[in-house]
Amino acid sequence: MLTALFASLLATASTNEAETCLRAKVWESYAEGWGVRTLTSTELESGKTRNYVVNLLKGNEYRIATCGDDKMVNLDVLLYDANGVIVSRDSTTDREPSISFRPPETGSYYVVLYAKEIAKSPAAAAMAVIYK
Amino acid sequence: MRPTGIAIALCAALAGCGGGEAPAPPAPEPAAPAAPANPETPSLDLAALQASSEARATLVPSPIETQNALEAIGVDASLAKLVPTRTFDLTKAESDHIAIRTGVVLADTLLTLTSADKDTLIARLDQVRTGLAALKAGADLDGQLAQMIDGVRGDAITRGELLKQFDDLSGAVIPELEFEGNTRIVPLIQAGSWLSGANLVAKAVQAAGNPSGSDSLLKQPGVVSYFLTYVKAQGADKAPPQVTAHLQTSLETLQGLATKAEPLTPADIATVIQVTDDVVGLL
Repeated sequence: MLTALFASLLATASTNEAETCLRAKVWESYAEGWGVRTLTSTELESGKTRNYVVNLLKGNEYRIATCGDDKMVNLDVLLYDANGVIVSRDSTTDREPSISFRPPETGSYYVVLYAKEIAKSPAAAAMAVIYK
Repeated sequence: MRPTGIAIALCAALAGCGGGEAPAPPAPEPAAPAAPANPETPSLDLAALQASSEARATLVPSPIETQNALEAIGVDASLAKLVPTRTFDLTKAESDHIAIRTGVVLADTLLTLTSADKDTLIARLDQVRTGLAALKAGADLDGQLAQMIDGVRGDAITRGELLKQFDDLSGAVIPELEFEGNTRIVPLIQAGSWLSGANLVAKAVQAAGNPSGSDSLLKQPGVVSYFLTYVKAQGADKAPPQVTAHLQTSLETLQGLATKAEPLTPADIATVIQVTDDVVGLL
């Protein structure tokens, strides 16, 4: 019981670290005229993904910003269109990737957070969809 | 000096003193095999994406995002100017009903936050606070809203700063709240906001005489389908049948228009206005 509680507290702390990092980035982006659609966080095992469906509006520019906690080594972010085709992905090997995208049409897209490499499972990641 | 008997015995036990062969060091433990690197791209096809993707926090565009997209299609209309005065009671109703009303007021507040006069803004923020308190959103959120209201009342916060805080609250904080386990609350708040936004967009497009340009704003079948899932779900706190029935009918009408292959016509825009007016009017 206590072990489970301790694990839960650790998980929360880890998720908070990723969220704090990302929230700072999102707030900085307000100064550049961006608004926030959402900011959410999760935990990932090595090689696993967390997937989100987003409806993007033609005419806006979007940025998918992320932060991993200190257990994340290489976090990847990918954007798939409604046909399951990758339309954007990051090419970095760090834990704070971001991608930008201007949808050619309004519609459903899928944001995929991928724990490409982590130091210790589970690692936390936070993701924000911002627009302008 | 000659070695003593004890020293000789020790040397023998240790297999040699000077000149003897040293014992072989213990063999190092075999290294654990390195975990294979994960593939460059995760193995995901469309079916896997559809089955596994979460929608609650990410799917629905915000009212300001919608305003931006409206400007991008050349409709130079301020949705804020189209927001009417509402007289919702945000306490005496079932939680579903309050959630939809709160969503409408949330959208009104976001859209008018930088342009409304001080008293109107305070009144809207107060309505949002009342609705969220009735939905049991929690003390933290209530405190945040109280601070915002105090900040506006005392001129201690700029509208730009308030917009950041309220946008964050609407887009990042509310979708993550549990509402005491009632999973319909967040989608219904979002439905209220989205329906109100669709209503204002349709009115702006009608006034501008640009119906087909609004396809990119009003054709969102994925969003409408997401709302329908929750509106059709059974629950103890459902709004009165006349409200849910109207809401479902309106959403199904919007779903029909959203999946229409041809561009939207003036008649379609009038339909959007009518069905969304019907729902909001019942609230």
